[in-house]
Amino acid sequence: MSLGPGLAERAHPFTPIAATGAITALAFLLPGPWGPPALYAAVVLLAAATGVGGAVRTAALVCLPLWVFLVLLHGVLGDGPATAVGPLRLSRDGLALAVAQAGRLGAIATATLGMLRAFRPSRFLDATAARGWSFHAAYLVVATLQAGPRLRERAALVLEAQRTRGLRYGGSPPARLRALAPVVLPLVLGALAEVDDRAMALEARGLAAEVRRTPLAPPADTTADRATRLALLALVLAALGWRLAGWLA
Amino acid sequence: MARVSAPAEEGLVGAGLVVEGLVFRYPGAETPALDGVSLECGRGLVHWLFGPLGAGCSTLLLAAAGLAPRHTGGTLEGGLTLLGADPQRDAGRRALLGRVAVVTPAPALQLSGVAATVEEEVAFAPANLGWPVERIRAATAAALARLEVAHLAGRAPAALSGGELQRVVIAAMLVLSPDAWLLDEPGAALDAAGRRRLRALLREEAARGALVVVASEDADAMLGAADRVVLLDRGRVRAAGAPEALLAGDEVWREGPGSTSIAALARAAGLPAPHPLTVEEGVARWSR
Repeated sequence: MSLGPGLAERAHPFTPIAATGAITALAFLLPGPWGPPALYAAVVLLAAATGVGGAVRTAALVCLPLWVFLVLLHGVLGDGPATAVGPLRLSRDGLALAVAQAGRLGAIATATLGMLRAFRPSRFLDATAARGWSFHAAYLVVATLQAGPRLRERAALVLEAQRTRGLRYGGSPPARLRALAPVVLPLVLGALAEVDDRAMALEARGLAAEVRRTPLAPPADTTADRATRLALLALVLAALGWRLAGWLA
Repeated sequence: MARVSAPAEEGLVGAGLVVEGLVFRYPGAETPALDGVSLECGRGLVHWLFGPLGAGCSTLLLAAAGLAPRHTGGTLEGGLTLLGADPQRDAGRRALLGRVAVVTPAPALQLSGVAATVEEEVAFAPANLGWPVERIRAATAAALARLEVAHLAGRAPAALSGGELQRVVIAAMLVLSPDAWLLDEPGAALDAAGRRRLRALLREEAARGALVVVASEDADAMLGAADRVVLLDRGRVRAAGAPEALLAGDEVWREGPGSTSIAALARAAGLPAPHPLTVEEGVARWSR
C-alpha cells in the first residue's frame, strides 16, 4: 500500500532546500559538544516526520567511516585530560570535538540526502519559472543535483556489462580496487560523450529560447511554506546573533 | 567516383534544405565526412539519405540542424540554408527555433532529464518556447495520440521500453508542429507496428507541407515512405531519384548500402536488375 508523497515532497520545492541550507548553517553556528548532536537528533526526527526517513539510514552509512575516523583522530590522538574506555585512554577534549564534528556531519548529510529524496526536478523548474528566474540557471541546479543518482545508475549498468564480459568484482580490497578501472573509465568516458548528445537534443527542444518558460503546473507556495522558510531564516539569524554576542562579550 | 548534385523537385526548392558544396571535417580526421555535397530538398516531400556507415548521412543532418560543427567540433565550408535561414549563424538559429524537429539515433539521450512523466517530457519543448499552458496541453495530447502512446502519458520516461521511448521522443518533436524534420535512424528502436506508424507520420507531415529528411540504412522501412532517395557514399552524393528506380538497380550494391531484403534475395538468386523490392513484387516476378 502506498502512503503517497510525504510532507517534504508535497511542500513547495524551495522549502526543503531552505531547510537544508538552514540546517547546514545551524550545524556550524551551534556550539559543541552538544549543539550539533542535538541538531542531528532533531534532523533525524524531522526527516522521519516529513516522509524522507530513508535518508537517515543512508546518511548514517555514509558518515559511519568518518565518525570512526573522527573518534580515532581526536579521541585517541587528542591532548588533555583522558578518560578510560575499556583498554583505550581517550582525550576528553578530543572526544568533545569528535562528537561535535560527527553531529555536524550527520545533520548536514541527513538533511541533504532527505532534500534530494524529496526533490522533483519538474516541480522545481516550474517553481523557478513561476518566479521568472533564469531557466538555464535552474536547469543547471537540477542537472547538478541529479548528477549523483544518474552516475550511480550508469555505474550499475557498466558494472553489469563488464561482469557479463568476465570482470570479477569482489574479494579483497586490492582486488576490488583493481576491478575499478574497467568500470570507472567507461563510466567517465560515457558520461563525457553523453554531454554533447544531450546538449544537442536540448538545444533542438528550445532550451536556448530567450523567452520566459511556461510553468506547466507551478507548485503552490502556501502560507505554511512561506512561514517555514521565514522561521528558518529567523532561527539562523538568531543563532548567528547569539554566537556573535558570545564572541564579542 | 562521379560527384553528383541532387536537385529538388520543381517548385519546392526555396523553403526547404539547400546545400551547396558542403565540406565538413571532424577534428583530427584525415578525410572529410562531407566532401562537396550539393543537395536541394523541397518541402512537402520525404527525402531519404541512404548510404553505408561513414557515408555522411548523419553528419549532413547535424550540419543542417546547425549542431555541427558547434557541438561536434571540426570545420565546415560551403553553403547551407534551412527554411530560408542559415542554421550556422545565431540569427538563423533564432529564426529556426521551434520550427525544426531533430531526432537523433539514441532516444534515451534526447530526454530532458527533468520530466517526471511522459506528458511533461512531450511538453518540455513548447514550455521552453513560452507557449500558453492550454496550447501546450492540447498539442501534447494530440502528439501523444498521433504516435499512439496516449496511454503512456502518466508513465515515467525512464521506465519506458526502447520502442515506447522512441515514439515519445518523436512525439516530443511533433508537439511543435515543425516546418522541418531531420531524423536520423528514427525507426531503429521501433517494432513493426511502430515503423508503420512512423512511415504514416512522415507521409502526413510531408502532406502538411513540412520538409522531411530522414537518414536511414533500413531500405525495407523507408521504401514506401520516401518520395526521393539521395545515395551518399564517403561524403559525396552518388545518385538521387525515385526510391523504386534506384533501389531496383545494381548501383546501390556497388560499394553502396544495398537495397531491400527482397532485392537482396533476388540478386542472390541471380536475377538481373531491375530487382523486385517488396514481397508482392517478388511473388509477381517469381510466379511468372
